[in-house]
Amino acid sequence: MAFGVLADVAPLLLGGLLGWTGLAKLTSRTLQRAASESALMRVLHDVRRVSGALRTLGAVEVALAVTLLAVPGRPVPVPGLAAAALGVGFVGYLVHARVTAPDSGCGCSGGDSAPITWRAFARAGLVVAGGLLAAAATGTWWSALQDRPAATVGIIVAGIAVLAMLSTDLDQLWLLPLRKARLRLLGHPLDGTAGPVPLAATVELLERSLAWGAAAPMVRSALIDHWDADGWRILRYAGVCRDRPVSVVFAMDATATMDTTQNPAIRVTMIDELTQEVIERPPLAVMS
Amino acid sequence: MNPPIDRRSFLTAAAVGGATIVGASALGGLDPASAFADPTPSLDPAIDTAAFAEGRVTQIKGSALEVAGSHGDQHVLQITNGTSIWKVHPTSINAIEVGDGLYARGVDMPDGTIAADAVWVNIVNLHCTVSGIGRDRIQLAHGQNSVVGNVLPGTTTASYLGGAQTSDLSGMKIGQAVQVLGAWRPADDSVDLVTMWVGH
Amino acid sequence: MACSTNYLWRGETTWFCCGPGWGPCGSAGGGACGGCRSDSNHGAWPNASAACWDITRPDYCGENMPRRGCGAVMRVRHQCTNAAVCFTIRDCGPRTRSFCGERTCCNGVCRTNRILDLTPRAYSTIGSLSSGKLPVWIYE
Repeated sequence: MAFGVLADVAPLLLGGLLGWTGLAKLTSRTLQRAASESALMRVLHDVRRVSGALRTLGAVEVALAVTLLAVPGRPVPVPGLAAAALGVGFVGYLVHARVTAPDSGCGCSGGDSAPITWRAFARAGLVVAGGLLAAAATGTWWSALQDRPAATVGIIVAGIAVLAMLSTDLDQLWLLPLRKARLRLLGHPLDGTAGPVPLAATVELLERSLAWGAAAPMVRSALIDHWDADGWRILRYAGVCRDRPVSVVFAMDATATMDTTQNPAIRVTMIDELTQEVIERPPLAVMS
Repeated sequence: MNPPIDRRSFLTAAAVGGATIVGASALGGLDPASAFADPTPSLDPAIDTAAFAEGRVTQIKGSALEVAGSHGDQHVLQITNGTSIWKVHPTSINAIEVGDGLYARGVDMPDGTIAADAVWVNIVNLHCTVSGIGRDRIQLAHGQNSVVGNVLPGTTTASYLGGAQTSDLSGMKIGQAVQVLGAWRPADDSVDLVTMWVGH
Repeated sequence: MACSTNYLWRGETTWFCCGPGWGPCGSAGGGACGGCRSDSNHGAWPNASAACWDITRPDYCGENMPRRGCGAVMRVRHQCTNAAVCFTIRDCGPRTRSFCGERTCCNGVCRTNRILDLTPRAYSTIGSLSSGKLPVWIYE
């Protein structure tokens, strides 16, 4: 009996889902961007063809949705079987995309396309199941609503909830607020991460300084080595000075950051790599 | 390669005794600062001809890296004492593994190889949204993908709307836009978080 | 418009990957213009087209840079070191609207708002990729 209601309501839920995803594909203004990142690119290699394919698919989904929703009189199994076949196609495409391009998006809803996680597979699986159920329906969904209103409404609500939870596009509405609330209630997991000045903050201060601008024409590498000594943080780079390979070494206060000082005092030294001698009076010109 | 301790002592002593340049003024007889507001660019044609390589490491032979570019090109990078290697932080060629991705800047050599000045291994810079926060990870939405960001204690920093980088991550909020600079882990596709610039 | 010395705009630049690549760049696509490559001197402009403007909305941050579409050639100069490189616009970006008010200063002179995105090749010519963003002036 419950199965009967489920089968009768299936066309409604399935039609709603396909109508929504189909309309999204047809009306999306960011379709080309989603298309360029979808796994279909690996098959068709052309953004315009992929966009066209997605729009065509959208039209097919809308047409299927209309036939599922507006069945006059006795239900006909063909739309249900067609939807099931579409679902099988979805699953196959997701498997192929997952195997060949695991980082890509699936283009499933036309806009900010969902990543291909288990939720996308589950939703495609539900399309197959929903299609088969719709094909097995013996009554229409509005007759089920009249005969067994409580069960029908319950299944509709549960069905919408399940589909919504499987659609990552809707996460903003419920999943993220849930996570925010959990953070507020149980505390921030990353409390207590503050500590001594990290290397990145020192490098950031250096790269914003006059000393860096003065030495930059001679620096050739990014940061090679660094260490702390007696409250100093020493940063070593490689460079070229008067055609000779040099180490360009900066000495900075290990506790200084952009927040603690606007005028860091930085010591700059150039050491000839071959002779290991400090270069006296290096050509440090303050940039204009 | 880390120089032996006595070389570090030598470098430290030399560095601490170096010319001091402070903020907007300069000590030691250097030229005074001029206005930074002048928009006239200086011409430096040498900069435009630097060699560049992108791709994945296919072989490591001594101090040479063989790299397969993403467009079918091949490169050989020569790593020297003057080459910086970044993999989450400054490190050495010993930290590089076959399969790592990289970008490298250097100089074309007559033998067709590139003498590398700077190599950045597995570096990524992704515009994301924070979708989850855990004790040792931050879940990120990167356009079409869901990315796991690994928090590295002592290394991961955050910069809140351009403030100084700090290791205090308790200001991260779900739903924030973040620019994530990190290192991709080929093994599981996660990203080691190095710096997160937090937006609105 | 070529890679010359006519002032166009100024602000912060970041970097991004495009074209086939490793890791998260594997699905990056060829950029809004097509043909974008991480190993070429390419860049992204917040006003490359009307559709682009809708995504980046630099006007939310008070930046109303002129339209410069695919193929536009510009020169970018690091404010502090004067290192410069010429590049071609091949994509739309960065998402200026998400970082309104963010500043990068050097020696007390500040540039505000993200107004340019460069490929790794172009960015590494004027700075270290690990620095993430730089204060720059842009010319054409």
